[in-house]
Amino acid sequence: MSSEPKKEAVEKKPEDSKPTNDKTTEKPAATKPAPKKVPPKEEPELPAFEKGIADKIIENFGEKTTISFVKPDRVGIKVGRDAVHDVAEFARDVLNYDHVDSVSGVDYPADKEIEVVYHLSSYTDPTLSRQILELATRAQREDKPIPGNDATRLPSLRDIFYSVEFHEREVFEMLGVYFEGHPDNRRLLLPEDWADLPPLRKDFRNKGR
Amino acid sequence: MSVIAPNFKLSEFIKSILDVGFWTLLIFVLIGLPLVFIVLFVIEMPVINGEILTPFLALTWLADPSRILPIVKAFMTTDLFRIAAFPGFGFAALIAASTIFVERKMMAKLQLRVGPFYCGKLEGILQLMGDGLKLISKEIIIPAKADKPIFWAAPVLFVGTAAAFVALIPVAPGWVVADVDVGLLAVFAVIGFFPIITILSAWAANSKFPFIGGIRALFQMVSFEIPLILSFLGVVIVTGTLNLSEIAASQSSFPWIVFFPIGAIIFFITMLAELERIPFDLPEAESEIVAGWLTELSGMLYGLVQFGTYLKLYAFAGLFVVIFLGGWNGPMIVPPFPAEIITEGIQMGPVTAQFPGLPVFTQEMLNGTIWFVIKTVGVIFFIILPRGVFPRIRVDMLLDLGWTKLIGLAFVNIFIALGLLYAGILGPGGLF
Amino acid sequence: MSTPILPPGLAIQKADERIMTLNVGPQHPGSGHMRIIVQIDGDYIVACDPDPGYVHRGEEKMAEYRNYVLNVPHLERPVIHDSCNVLYPYVLGVEELLGLEVTERAKYIRVIAAELNRCVYTMYWLAIYGIFLGHSTMFMWPAGDRELLIDLLEKMTGARVTHSYFIPGGIRNDLPANFEDVCLRQVNYFEKRIKEYADVFYENPILISRTEKTGVLTRENAIRLGTTGSVLRASGVDYDVRKKEPYDVYDELDFETNVMKSGDSYARSRIPWLDMMESCRIIRDALQKMPKSGSVRVKLKPNPKGGFDSVYKRVESGRGALGCYIVSDKKPEPYRVKLSVPSFRNLIALPHLLIGEKLGNMPSTYWSLNYWPVEADR
Repeated sequence: MSSEPKKEAVEKKPEDSKPTNDKTTEKPAATKPAPKKVPPKEEPELPAFEKGIADKIIENFGEKTTISFVKPDRVGIKVGRDAVHDVAEFARDVLNYDHVDSVSGVDYPADKEIEVVYHLSSYTDPTLSRQILELATRAQREDKPIPGNDATRLPSLRDIFYSVEFHEREVFEMLGVYFEGHPDNRRLLLPEDWADLPPLRKDFRNKGR
Repeated sequence: MSVIAPNFKLSEFIKSILDVGFWTLLIFVLIGLPLVFIVLFVIEMPVINGEILTPFLALTWLADPSRILPIVKAFMTTDLFRIAAFPGFGFAALIAASTIFVERKMMAKLQLRVGPFYCGKLEGILQLMGDGLKLISKEIIIPAKADKPIFWAAPVLFVGTAAAFVALIPVAPGWVVADVDVGLLAVFAVIGFFPIITILSAWAANSKFPFIGGIRALFQMVSFEIPLILSFLGVVIVTGTLNLSEIAASQSSFPWIVFFPIGAIIFFITMLAELERIPFDLPEAESEIVAGWLTELSGMLYGLVQFGTYLKLYAFAGLFVVIFLGGWNGPMIVPPFPAEIITEGIQMGPVTAQFPGLPVFTQEMLNGTIWFVIKTVGVIFFIILPRGVFPRIRVDMLLDLGWTKLIGLAFVNIFIALGLLYAGILGPGGLF
Repeated sequence: MSTPILPPGLAIQKADERIMTLNVGPQHPGSGHMRIIVQIDGDYIVACDPDPGYVHRGEEKMAEYRNYVLNVPHLERPVIHDSCNVLYPYVLGVEELLGLEVTERAKYIRVIAAELNRCVYTMYWLAIYGIFLGHSTMFMWPAGDRELLIDLLEKMTGARVTHSYFIPGGIRNDLPANFEDVCLRQVNYFEKRIKEYADVFYENPILISRTEKTGVLTRENAIRLGTTGSVLRASGVDYDVRKKEPYDVYDELDFETNVMKSGDSYARSRIPWLDMMESCRIIRDALQKMPKSGSVRVKLKPNPKGGFDSVYKRVESGRGALGCYIVSDKKPEPYRVKLSVPSFRNLIALPHLLIGEKLGNMPSTYWSLNYWPVEADR
């Protein structure tokens, strides 16, 4: 659709190597008006607990992961497709995230990539009850997709978080991302004879739009 | 333009009606009238009271009650009248139809709505007729792989069996279609046909949901027939007869429910199960198996089964009344027929009309019928009531209830009967 | 793509002779707009495969073509009976993306509307639960009493079902005059009325014996499967987004979450009913604490744009936690809108609950999951 998200991702990468200071400066508008007004004093206002979660992941996985944002109650991590399984396992076993709220696929045609975002949350750990860990990973995108039989593949997290089962099936049919290791990669919502592009890709246009 | 008949024109429609009328008249005048005259010429008319019976005379007799009443009374003693009209089919159908209406209105009141309201001005009293007309006018769809003869025959058989059941119920002293000595066993035999018809219909439909429904109906009816027959065994032991008329007559001083409340309760529960009514409507459990064994039935086939179900409901309620609630017995509430009408006739101005056959129904018969109907309607009310109160139960709970609890209780009931018999309170030589 | 290639796993298995496959739905009185393919051995379910998607309308795709405000009327369509709650996370997310500050009065009115809507939805759900169990009175009573609250919402929003009441920056219009008194009276009567349901339904011995200890979802499984809402709370996990991550003014209101330990169909069906009482309590409290006057919406520029950002917001809807993930790319239209709906999350529990159950337990177990087929399909 557009190349802006690509630029955004590229801009983030150098900044994320020094994780603490620059994260909130990327987000000037959205979260809270208070830190925006006084930029030099934002460091004590950076949510400490969320930063701790992000730091733990960075410590363990280093360069494989980058932190995309730390907001109140929300931590965003970008992971390469090789490490996503390990990071998810770490999040479950060490950080006590126990289920996945939602799995969303986002298509970035300009990057030739499809992002799959897992929103992890926890029922059992009362300290994490407000928290959402956003685990984003990207798969290679093909212009002429053959869902299930092309290079658009990601490791499935179903063996770690059982709750992703139907969500990953949905991402598979809607964006054509095949999840390796998922026991049941079938269609869920779309009809069995759907032969068009996966509909949530940006090059699938709604009729009349 | 109408979609159903795109080439419809009113003028042509009227013309076609006039055409039909014209040709009918013409054919009747040219062929029918000569035929009637030829027949009248050839046939020797009977001579009654010294007069030859002409068609004119026959018509005047119809208008004269003193002549037509004996004919009516003679007709009422025939089996045809009993089967078709009074204690049999027509009477039962009337009660069944009013049951449907009462059920709808009562459920509506229970559920804070109004129920049938518009059809027939008075509280939707003609709604049932409208539904019947709708069912008759609907297309009957038979599944392609169905066993067609059996599929067609099953609803008819169902109504027939229900009517056979109705025939065994005595309504008033002497008013019963089939007064058999082994009445209760006959009832049991007739009830035994229902699961067979159900499973035949379900299997013939060659479809999954009817099949499951038929199997469930088979389970349910077979497992509840045993507590059913055990529950009225207590009454049989005490009265010493299986004849339903004699059982009803034996309760002239008190109904058997006084001594056998357990038997009556078991009978009532098994009755609900045999009738497939909520909470035991598993064979038709809507949310589980669509409509059970009725799924593939359409149009009037479905209507027949529903009609048969309500006939069966009336018959079961009547059986309950006969066995436990005293049948036709009750205080005399019908005033005696005024004797001066019989002796002196009715004076209408200068004319005194004599009606020789006049009390068409005896006082006992009218009183018995009224008490029977009152009791039956009461029982039907209690059969309908659980539908508004209970959810459906599960098939394993149902079988557990039938095979363990009800049969156990039925034996308790039998022991009570034996105890009363040997204690000399009831039965031959007892206090009553 | 010319030929559809069947993904792996779609091969049709040959069933055993004695195992019968039943298509429960989509044309079935016990399924709603979905299909459950169950295989039964006698009366026992041995395999179950839910097949949603019959009412998939591509709401998420449609949202990519409309701007942030035009998305409001169609994003509430998945659950029209709960239309305020299904719109809530989207509106919260857009407000965060656009940096809008909502006034206090609007927040209170939103909470009142959301709680009324939760009751409206739960009544509809309860009505269908009743008829699934063959209890026709329990179908008619909630369907009738629901009108009380629908009338209230009609006074508030102008529409009986599809309200489109929440918009980014507040609510569409202020309350009508004298609304507080009418609302209090209706809600009090409504609460009195739903308490009567216990007599005819929840305390009914047949209902209890039918639904207790059937379809048991243990606490561990409820967490592992990621279920939410009443299903989760019936399994003994005290998790309610209104308590745990309060949005708008829920942290100032006085209410409790209902938790039951047993995790069976009965508990799952009872929790929403208890929640309705809490909703009545919230509404009364909110009516009391609400600022009596003030503006209820922020003026929006035409075609507002967000930055390069993403936001994930969640609320507690009538069925459970409802999340909305919005990605924006400095355009008037969102780049991606994802609704993480509770029905879809609870659906995964269905095969786990049904396998090994009797066929007669299927409707009660299925509907006790608080599942709304249209929402799951989106």
